[in-house]
Amino acid sequence: MTKTNIIGVYEDEDQIVEAIHQIQDKGIKIKDVFTPIPLHGVFEALKFETRLPYATFLYGVVGTSITFAFLYWTSVVSYPLKFGGKPLNSLSFIIIMFVATILIATFLTFMTFFIRQKLFPGKEVKVYDTRATDDKFIIVIDKEELSEAEAENVKTALTESGASEINEVEEEINTKG
Amino acid sequence: MDQKLVIPLKFKTVAYILMAIGVAAFIYAFASDPKRGWANLLINNYYFVALAIGATFFGALQYITQSGWSSGFVRIHQGIANFFPVLLVLMIPLLFGIYSLYHWSHHDAVAHDPILQHKEPYLNTPFFIIRFAIYFAVWIGLTQLLRKLSFKEDLEGGLRYFEKSEFYSKVYIFSLALTFSMATFDWIMSIDAHWFSTIFAIRNFAMGFQHAVVLITLVAIILNKMGYLPFLSKYHLKDFSKYIFILSIIWGYTWFSQYILIWYANIPEETIYYVPRTQGEFTPLFYTELAVNWLFPFLALMSGKVSTNKNALLIITSILLIGQYVDVYMQVTVGTLHHLNIGFIEIGGFLGFVGLFAYVLAWSLSRKPLVAKNHPLLNECMEHHGH
Repeated sequence: MTKTNIIGVYEDEDQIVEAIHQIQDKGIKIKDVFTPIPLHGVFEALKFETRLPYATFLYGVVGTSITFAFLYWTSVVSYPLKFGGKPLNSLSFIIIMFVATILIATFLTFMTFFIRQKLFPGKEVKVYDTRATDDKFIIVIDKEELSEAEAENVKTALTESGASEINEVEEEINTKG
Repeated sequence: MDQKLVIPLKFKTVAYILMAIGVAAFIYAFASDPKRGWANLLINNYYFVALAIGATFFGALQYITQSGWSSGFVRIHQGIANFFPVLLVLMIPLLFGIYSLYHWSHHDAVAHDPILQHKEPYLNTPFFIIRFAIYFAVWIGLTQLLRKLSFKEDLEGGLRYFEKSEFYSKVYIFSLALTFSMATFDWIMSIDAHWFSTIFAIRNFAMGFQHAVVLITLVAIILNKMGYLPFLSKYHLKDFSKYIFILSIIWGYTWFSQYILIWYANIPEETIYYVPRTQGEFTPLFYTELAVNWLFPFLALMSGKVSTNKNALLIITSILLIGQYVDVYMQVTVGTLHHLNIGFIEIGGFLGFVGLFAYVLAWSLSRKPLVAKNHPLLNECMEHHGH
């Protein structure tokens, strides 16, 4: 099964944020934006939201707790070893707790991200326009639910906002997922 | 643009009342328990020295990195710099308290003490006073020079004064590294004259820098709420929050570096410093210090919504400023008074200093326009969007 997208190609990074706002003001929904370099305004303009930081925080809390539980169990409960008159349960746990928290939180965050985005080694890459990895900036709009007249509107909006080229690209979609 | 701060009458009244409380507290302290009075004078003076050093360092750092985002707030740290001359006046009485605060100034004690004899070429009263004079000469001279350059830039414009400011900021940072480290050794570390820690100055510098940024954020938000600095946006708040967040980690890092080395090495001369702090009546404060200055901002500022919310930041910054008091209190009291005593003298004395500081800062802000209009990077601050 295939799906058609309208793609606007822009030459310059200065145009892209302004263009996103112009197109959104006309009530057109932007599906995605691809740029060869990270642009700060884009993420905010597209109003993307992510709950990933909350997951990271949760992993951090879990990581700290289980690391502390492990340290406490090994050095206080299971094998208490007194040396230098120091207390068994002490602030020296902090370094290991800190490092292990970072390890657990980042590792689980990456795994969550990969699973949610269905990323895995050898995945077939969806490329709308290969030039978006070189020197062009592209805006992708889903054409499926648009009537002919609306599609024309979208194309005019893209041209007015400074697109140098407008293409239609077909995209294979996996019916399973 | 040429707007100056108009000090509200209510603010003046409150500041005068606080100062009166402070004066009363110190009179009461010196009448009833002089040693406690000296210790409190040192705590409050060092508290504000660290803040003023941190704030002026923040200003110098913005100049040498040519940071644009903070260029609308230069008057705040320049205003805080104006507290140095006041601190000099408040520190001079402390020279009469050397004998009650510092063990190394007792000649009979030094005579029987090889460690203090070894340190005597550095730790003796005349040299202490000479160094004291040098520190304040450097701090007042360079910060007033930077202030003056900024005011001249206001009138004449051009890049000339900016380049000069950048140069003197470099000079200031180098001299500050030396003078503040030695001042910290002199005033705080020498209380425990037998003990030493090589990271002590850095740890206290991190403390001052962290809380100075906290203070600048607090003042910027208050001014914004009063209707000044209308350009203060959530991107500025975000950048301030990032500063506080990372500096709280740096403070925690240096704090822990000092603690863990002494803890592991387990050498009696060194561990003696932590014994009264971790065991006995000071224990709750020891953990409060760590929790308030590191854990609290670390957790509170993690969320993007909190770190860009003015009211939330007002509360967080106020709590952090109390956190620094706990930090300085712990460093001074344990070695001088040996007992936990928080009463009218401590709270009243601190309130007095707060009132005086707020008054001096407001007075400095009301003298000159609140925005340095000819700062070459000002547009970057006005149009600031997070990066």
